[in-house]
Amino acid sequence: MSSLSYLVSRLLQIIPTFLLVMVVIFLLVRMLPGDPAIAMADAKATEAQLELIRQKLGLNEPLVMQFFYFVKNTLSGDMGTSILLKAPVLEVIIERIPVTAFLTLYAVCLSILIAGPLAFVAALNKNGGLDIAIRSGFQVGLSTPVFYIGLLLLTFLAASLRLFPVGGYGTTFLQHLHHLMLPALTVALYTSAIIMRNLRSAVIEVLDADYVQFARSKGLSRSVILGRHVLRNAMISTVTLLGLSIGNLMSGTLVTETVFAVPGLGRLMLEAIFARDYPLIQGLTLTFAVMVSLVFLFTDMVQAWLDPRLRLS
Amino acid sequence: MKTLLIAALAGVSMLAINSAQAVERGGTLTFARYDDSNLVDPVYADRNPDIWMVTNLYDTLLRTKADGKTIVPGLASGYEVSADGKTISITLRDGIKFSDGSAITPADVKFSLERATNPDFGPWSGLLGSVESITETDNGVTLAMKNPDPTIISILATFNTAIVSKAAFEAAPGANDQEKATALFAPGTPVSGPFTLKDRTRGSTMTFSANPHYWRQGEDGKPLPYLDEVSFVVIPDDATRILKLQAGEVNGAEFVPFSRVAELKADPAINMELYPSTRIIYSPINSRETRADGSPNPMATKEARQALNYAINKDALVQLITHGTGKSMTSPLMASTTQLAHDGGPLYPYDVAKAKELAAASGLEGAEITLTTLAGSSDDATLFAAIQQMWGAIGVNVKVEQVDNPTRGAKNRSGEFDIHTYGWVNDVNDPAQVAGWLGYYPTRKAVGTGWNNAEFNSLFEASNTEIDPEKRSEQYKRMQEIYADAAPLLFLYETPFAVALSANVNGYLQTPLGNNEFSSAWIAK
Repeated sequence: MSSLSYLVSRLLQIIPTFLLVMVVIFLLVRMLPGDPAIAMADAKATEAQLELIRQKLGLNEPLVMQFFYFVKNTLSGDMGTSILLKAPVLEVIIERIPVTAFLTLYAVCLSILIAGPLAFVAALNKNGGLDIAIRSGFQVGLSTPVFYIGLLLLTFLAASLRLFPVGGYGTTFLQHLHHLMLPALTVALYTSAIIMRNLRSAVIEVLDADYVQFARSKGLSRSVILGRHVLRNAMISTVTLLGLSIGNLMSGTLVTETVFAVPGLGRLMLEAIFARDYPLIQGLTLTFAVMVSLVFLFTDMVQAWLDPRLRLS
Repeated sequence: MKTLLIAALAGVSMLAINSAQAVERGGTLTFARYDDSNLVDPVYADRNPDIWMVTNLYDTLLRTKADGKTIVPGLASGYEVSADGKTISITLRDGIKFSDGSAITPADVKFSLERATNPDFGPWSGLLGSVESITETDNGVTLAMKNPDPTIISILATFNTAIVSKAAFEAAPGANDQEKATALFAPGTPVSGPFTLKDRTRGSTMTFSANPHYWRQGEDGKPLPYLDEVSFVVIPDDATRILKLQAGEVNGAEFVPFSRVAELKADPAINMELYPSTRIIYSPINSRETRADGSPNPMATKEARQALNYAINKDALVQLITHGTGKSMTSPLMASTTQLAHDGGPLYPYDVAKAKELAAASGLEGAEITLTTLAGSSDDATLFAAIQQMWGAIGVNVKVEQVDNPTRGAKNRSGEFDIHTYGWVNDVNDPAQVAGWLGYYPTRKAVGTGWNNAEFNSLFEASNTEIDPEKRSEQYKRMQEIYADAAPLLFLYETPFAVALSANVNGYLQTPLGNNEFSSAWIAK
């Protein structure tokens, strides 16, 4: 199978996933307890005002018709108007996507930068003092709640040492890098712990493989063996894990973006849920579904590049 | 000589104090908010983050002083109410302008008030339900009333009657008034308030800049505001907002948790302010004969509800939940800062013996009551733990049911609750709004309690057309007596608005209604 046809077949697989997500989110949102009209209108609203909101949202229509309109409008690019923000859902989401994408990508880069070298150091010192120290350190990262790590980083690195701003996003690219360092690091510490453990095991396994022994016997330098043979083969399972972690990273933005006052999709999702803003919740969930699907697609492509056997199968 | 020296020193000290208090102009005040404003428009503002910003952009005809009660002239230099209370003549101040330099005219006032009375626009038109028509005069407008309305003067000092530019609305894009209002919440819109909107990034930042044509004068005899700009940053997390202030990145942070007040008060770099508010924390008691499931309601009698109130140590709650910053309610219907609040002393002072006696007489002993609280609210969790212990002493078992805000609201409306936590802040500088909410049955079933008292209802209706202040005050006094005796609520406590400011920020005010007032704020350099 060529790379192009592999890409097309994977893209086609996204369509049923997308449709399934639409059904699930439509039903889940409506299963939430509480009247959305009450949530949106404030407790002081009169019955007439509540009725007006129900009409606007089409909540008085039969469920089947509500779903029909939801699918029809979404496919035509109309995700409705956010009751909370009084603005088109698509417009709001487009505003926020770059923020969350930046944060996620930043966190992924930091995760790789932290986990990659340390995994190699740990693997090359298997069961040695350095290996134990690295694994123990990451164990702390894994077992500490994300919001707590965030608050600790904010308190020491931002409020006390003033190395970074306390939250926010900034306006220029460099400001984004500066402002998002701590939130990205917060999520990266957790993700890198998972990646490091996996990569360490993979490296240890590959180091014992016959082809690596063969490369050594050929007299190849250590750096060539590690870079060309060990890294590429050890990366296959790690790339899968990284892809899955990006999905987790996106859900992690709900907490991180709130603690660090980052105006991204995660924080918006939290606000939308508390306000029972149906159109916004639906739009955001679909956006997350598309983003995660694209990440998985990209992961598959990278895997196929690393291991052509996957593409052929 | 000694006397002269003391006098000289006193003079120097006074000079120093005076110079320290002299206002300084210019600069940008950065303020951390818990939520963003989505639409700051007088008639469509329906959430506190929107409502509390309106008067920074749009001025009202009359204004409320810092005490939250006294009405003073605003864009109007004065008003006159006819003897029968059915005509109100309003005179506009000379030379007032919008931020683009165009004159604020009687046509703008008529347009603004007609928007405010239109039931199709926003949730506040009911506040002007007594207005029959609005006509322009040479230097103002005249309101013809369907009936005398004692609240109308207060409403003219309320955000929903603030003055917008008729020309701007006519020129704005949009198929209807709401679309036009949304389009006008943008930089460049002419406004009548002390600030104009300079820029805004939804959900993140917003900047106001000084309106160069604003009419009010500062202490230095020059037009307000003192600041060049106010920059808002949205930081939903309480701890992060405070850290931002402590790091010196912002000059102010609102909604400081009460648990952090003492710590911030001790910080010399921070001025921890507790502004009096109209916020009350109370719990509606289902007062119907039966519960929603048809079973007998142990809280149906007033004696049972009184027992529950007597068995709560409110002073302990004030310490536990507000860390001593709040105070027990003294009026059953409203915060003590509200006009016509009758101070009846502490309501149901903690008296276990009396509570036991009333519980036994009303058959409350052994009853199981569910307290519906907000999931994730530490205040509600503390309240539940305290109440469970306190009511255990009178033989009442308490279960907790944790729900989110929309679910709690739905339960309140359907009556599917025993007792639930709730809070209130007045939007209007008149007690009619809160009294109607808490006690009047026909509109919202007395805050969902189902309590229905004919005398209270008729007094409330009469008070809404009573223009004799003394008679209206008497009506309110009686309403508060009836309500306190019937106890359809757990009367808990009042809390202030806690705002932390940098030590060099002066003149900022959060009014008892919650409005953030930056027009007189200034930064000492």
